[in-house]
Amino acid sequence: MTKAYINGIGCISPQNSIDSEWFFDAINPAKGDYFDAIEPSYKEFIAPNLLRRMGRAIKMGVAAGNIAIQQAGIEKVDAIITGTGLGCFEDSERFLLAILNNDEQFLTPTSFIQSTHNTVGSQIALIMKCHDYNFTYVHRGFSFESTIQDALMLFEEGKETILVGGIEEHTPNFVVLNRRAHKFQELPSDKPIWKSTTPGIQMSEGTAFFVLNKTKTEKSLASIDGIQTLYKPKTSADILNKLHSFLKLHNLTLADIDVTLMGFSDDVNFDQKLQELLPSIEKESIAACYKNVCGEYHTASAFAMWTATKLIEKQKLPKVLAISDKAPSKIKHVLIINQYLGINYSFTLLSQC
Amino acid sequence: MDALIEKLKGQIIEQLNLAEVKPEEINPDSPLFGEGLGLDSIDALELIVLLEKHYGIKIQDPKDGKTIFQSLRTMAEYIKSQGKS
Repeated sequence: MTKAYINGIGCISPQNSIDSEWFFDAINPAKGDYFDAIEPSYKEFIAPNLLRRMGRAIKMGVAAGNIAIQQAGIEKVDAIITGTGLGCFEDSERFLLAILNNDEQFLTPTSFIQSTHNTVGSQIALIMKCHDYNFTYVHRGFSFESTIQDALMLFEEGKETILVGGIEEHTPNFVVLNRRAHKFQELPSDKPIWKSTTPGIQMSEGTAFFVLNKTKTEKSLASIDGIQTLYKPKTSADILNKLHSFLKLHNLTLADIDVTLMGFSDDVNFDQKLQELLPSIEKESIAACYKNVCGEYHTASAFAMWTATKLIEKQKLPKVLAISDKAPSKIKHVLIINQYLGINYSFTLLSQC
Repeated sequence: MDALIEKLKGQIIEQLNLAEVKPEEINPDSPLFGEGLGLDSIDALELIVLLEKHYGIKIQDPKDGKTIFQSLRTMAEYIKSQGKS
């Protein structure tokens, strides 16, 4: 089966992940019941004439893509694949508000043009002058996973270097509406994220990009060995059975996995199956979490992949992520078990290379 | 005319999100497109909407846009000629 080698990473999140040296050493807490991304000075990454038209999702995506490309030390890619659940939400909102506020008159094109889900991928392509394959997946909680699946298939078709990324942004209105709909944790919880007993997530935003290569190079940080999605599994036993089969495909068992990153979201309704799965994971592997630092959003699995790459690079599991008391003696294989709203589950296997 | 030009500078900066440009940096006689402010075809549509929204002027023939949007001064003169300033 085709592997993908990660040669460059770029991440904008509620943490200081924009700094390549940051490794979970100082953690920014949520703003009450949600997280905001820490945004960089975009002038370093984007020309002013382009910047003036871009919403936050586009700016975050273009900047993170730029960081990944710089780290990989390349100037061109054979394909750009992005994934997003909500797309360029800020511009969609701006365009719709203009329709409402101006009684359907005086509508300007900019926010409409910028509001489509594929704007981030197309802006990166315009900047890089990449006229090759360009695709955006809008598959709710599978949006980012779909980019990896597509990249692995494109490698089989002969592509050599691919930029993939997951992007999500929220707006003040979006936060207010979700709070009214009781989507957030209403009271601050003193329980760790994997022991939540109450409904509600900590909504968030962010973007992570990866330069993937078909072949290993001196720049390769880790390999993506495989990915699998599960739609609405009925029980935690179903997930465990599928997980064993997934690992078997790669000639591994759970005992070979040094760290398992689990997508607990703080909402007991969505986390229940992962809570039931945790003892089986801890029995053979070392369990860890990530949504306590990045929050929950459609493409949080992109942050998980960025985290997994860093764990392999640094050979260390930061305390803030640890669920199990044990510390790994080495980090060769990292498994990500993501879930979104208890509907979309995925396994992603990363290895040292 | 000068007051109208100053007003237009503020409206253009806001409409086109030219956060990096200060009103005093805009030369009323410099070309708006290509050189000068370096605007493009999407900005042209934004300027058409600006005229309609703030001055109630509808440009009937798109060919007229080339003359009207030559510079800030030509825009101001056109608004004046329509009796909308």
